Amino acid sequence: MRDESMTRRQVLGALAVGAVVGMTVVPRPAAAQTFGQNETVEAALKRVFGGKPIKDGSGMITLDIPLIAENGAVVPVSVEVNAPMTPQSYVKHIYVVADKNRIPVVTRAVLSPDSGQAYMGANIRLGETGDVRAIVEQSDGTLWQVKREVKVTVGGCGG
Amino acid sequence: MSDIGKVRLRLPSSIKAGDVVRVRCLVIHPMERIERDKSGKIIDKKYQYIDKVTVTYLGKTIATFDTTQSVSENPFFAFTFKATDPGKLVVSFHDTIGAIYEGTADVAFG
Repeated sequence: MRDESMTRRQVLGALAVGAVVGMTVVPRPAAAQTFGQNETVEAALKRVFGGKPIKDGSGMITLDIPLIAENGAVVPVSVEVNAPMTPQSYVKHIYVVADKNRIPVVTRAVLSPDSGQAYMGANIRLGETGDVRAIVEQSDGTLWQVKREVKVTVGGCGG
Repeated sequence: MSDIGKVRLRLPSSIKAGDVVRVRCLVIHPMERIERDKSGKIIDKKYQYIDKVTVTYLGKTIATFDTTQSVSENPFFAFTFKATDPGKLVVSFHDTIGAIYEGTADVAFG
């Protein structure tokens, strides 16, 4: 386990696996780990960023996502960062994180100064209503984030 | 799904040297979600989804995306690059069963 404490869901999941395989209470969340699923957003952020402080980047990051997503299976999102893209200082990573998804870290874009502009767009899935964050990591390691709540009418993550 | 792996790349119709160009790309792909049985147990199988996208321009990787199953079916990505010289822009999608789908576009200045 990456996180010492188990969530209720993980415990139940592990129990279910144990029951089916005919084992008792030995937790085997290996599959869950490989897929990185059922991770809470806090655990995911800790795993990815190692507890580094994340500053509020509302002045420089534009997160474009609908306020209401009727269909959670396809939600267009785009992130634009108003920051220089020079070899000395550029935006290294853009993360899109959906707090309520079983797989919170949706995508990570690795950019280089040749990109010319720190921008990315993608279509993502949202399981339920919750915050969506864009986290930007600059080449010097500074982290910035913005988040926005998205209301989801029909969830798109299924199972 | 015979259409799996069809890649579409869209560039602006006219590009000038030095422009920062916004590209949109799309690949037809199921992006399988994790399935569970009635008890909530995860069905153990090899899920087919795209986990890496790389963008190369003039033979140089300019951007990569690491993706998870939280990305929608028939994924769409947008990115920018700085058009310095005419040449090839290649976007390749790698999925978990080892397949690689590629889309290329010629960057030409008009």
